[in-house]
Amino acid sequence: MDATLLVQMLLGALLGLSVYLPLACGQLSLATPGFYAIGGTLAALLSTRVPALSGAAMAGEGGGGGVPIYPLSSLLLEMVLAALLCAVVAEGLGRLVLRLQGIYLTIATIALVEILRVVSLNLEITGGAVGIFAIPQPFAAPTGYALFCLALLVLVGWLCQRLAVTRPGLAMAAIRDDAIAAASSGIAIERWKRLAFVLSAVVAGVSGVVAAHFLNAWNPRLGNFDASITTLAFVVFGGSRTWLGPVVGGLALTALPELLRPVGDLRLIVFGLVILLGPSLFPQGLITPELLTSLASRLPRPLQRRLGMDRGASRNRRTPASDPPLAAPSSPGQAPAEVER
Amino acid sequence: MDTLLQILINGISTGAVYGLFALGYTLVFSVLGVINFAHGAVFTLGAYLTYLLVGGAVGSNGLLAGLQLPFALPFWAALPVAGLLTALVSLLVEATAFRPLRRHGAEPLLYLITSLGAGVILVNLLQILLGAEGYAMPTTALGSLPITLSLAGAQLRTVQLVLLVVAAVVLAVLSLWLEGSRGGKALQAVSEDATTARLLGIDSDAMIRLGFAVSGFLAGIAGGLVGLSLSITGPYFGISYGLKALGVLVLGGLGSVPGAVLAGLIVGGAEALVPGEWSGYKDAIAYAFLFAVLLLRPQGLLGRPQISKV
Repeated sequence: MDATLLVQMLLGALLGLSVYLPLACGQLSLATPGFYAIGGTLAALLSTRVPALSGAAMAGEGGGGGVPIYPLSSLLLEMVLAALLCAVVAEGLGRLVLRLQGIYLTIATIALVEILRVVSLNLEITGGAVGIFAIPQPFAAPTGYALFCLALLVLVGWLCQRLAVTRPGLAMAAIRDDAIAAASSGIAIERWKRLAFVLSAVVAGVSGVVAAHFLNAWNPRLGNFDASITTLAFVVFGGSRTWLGPVVGGLALTALPELLRPVGDLRLIVFGLVILLGPSLFPQGLITPELLTSLASRLPRPLQRRLGMDRGASRNRRTPASDPPLAAPSSPGQAPAEVER
Repeated sequence: MDTLLQILINGISTGAVYGLFALGYTLVFSVLGVINFAHGAVFTLGAYLTYLLVGGAVGSNGLLAGLQLPFALPFWAALPVAGLLTALVSLLVEATAFRPLRRHGAEPLLYLITSLGAGVILVNLLQILLGAEGYAMPTTALGSLPITLSLAGAQLRTVQLVLLVVAAVVLAVLSLWLEGSRGGKALQAVSEDATTARLLGIDSDAMIRLGFAVSGFLAGIAGGLVGLSLSITGPYFGISYGLKALGVLVLGGLGSVPGAVLAGLIVGGAEALVPGEWSGYKDAIAYAFLFAVLLLRPQGLLGRPQISKV
């Protein structure tokens, strides 16, 4: 397969995870493209305007007369900075809106995306509508990006898997099922919602950094409202009950329009149909917990244990054997447990 | 150089249209408790339909290139016709994006997703059929009215006054209808408490459809008015208006009818006061208000604090 397409698919999967995280907590955030744009713009600015970041490379690794390679350490530094910036913005926004009904988060995230778009269109430093060009390349070939994105996806996926079987993830699932019941069982719903939102922002911001280098140029259109729809379609298509759903959705729906070039204009209509009809026809999406459980039960036992699947599966059977007890509204017989403090 | 009176009239007329638009959200929100994200697309459709009905021709980009209706209505007739057509489309949105989910009693979150989908489909259909280019209403749309009027020494664009008058009339009729008629009262009863309303013999499904139809009508009218005053910049122009109207909605208080109108006037007025060199940031004003109100008064200017009972 074409490595360029593979990179796009992997970035799509990462963005799908970024939309999934708040959804796993019952919140619809449309800010993923906004944070993606924060990361992208930050990377574009730092790598083109701060000579110190690429300076060492000009002299050293650029051998062979080719284009100088941007140092990997600078890329990682950009990713850390983008993660911090996005986390701070998300924390602030979360504190503001997450004490209100869920709908306020959705509206506020739309507002954030629009404000960022307007500001980056008007600021001189971000290049206005034209954007920023000639972003240096940390990898000589798309294969390098593909491996890097794959590593990133594995890392984020592992994090989501850990989240699904540990206390924060169980709290988030309880909030999603019934926020009022979760709150009365002692779950600090605002805090977990905020954590999910901050994680979502960090994933999107870090993906934006990689995307800016990969695309070689950055402009405000990359973080617009269309992108919100596209990333949402990833999750609705793949399913939001497990973290694998958005990954599959992101991979598949990014590949689809590229493979079916002729549909070009129809791409957004197809995505629109997915999110219009998906929730009523296939409320669970493509990848459901039941599907994973049945797939996992066909794997050899030791492998299941290694993947931590038996724990996830046991939760789906509602027999929390090894997990600390946590009152989920789906198991009313269980005594409410203190989750906070 | 604009006089204060000009700025004021511009601000109020833009604000009145924001109010109309935000009211459409409010009607659906009050009966269903969810936001209809397809509202911005219905607004866009209203603008295009008005353009076609007053005799505008389709450009060369879309599938319907060169299409022109065999008749041309005057603006005052085209606007309500466009409004009725968008009301029908709004009913279609209800039937595809809302009703199937309501049947399963799905979580409110999903309505946001499906209505976004309906909006995206509408906007992209418009783009495929009519092309991505911008359209300006024919100058003949307003018939023999002059382009500018002189009022107390200021030159005013007639269009702004038309906007103001139409918006004021529609708002007045709507509030009379909501407060005074059986249908309006039934709608209010459903928004107060759908279960009790049903027990009292009100067909709440019919009321929900009515809410969507009126909301679609308002969006269509608002679209036609904005199209007249600013020209249609492409199929996406309603989205930015739709998002802005969300800011207006939260500023006024979710579900509050007078709040939506008041907030529309505030945002419209504030935008009109932005000096020329900052005009690029005009579109962000509604959101600045939105965050300010979330910080200081989350229930909105005229909204009631929300208490959820179990």
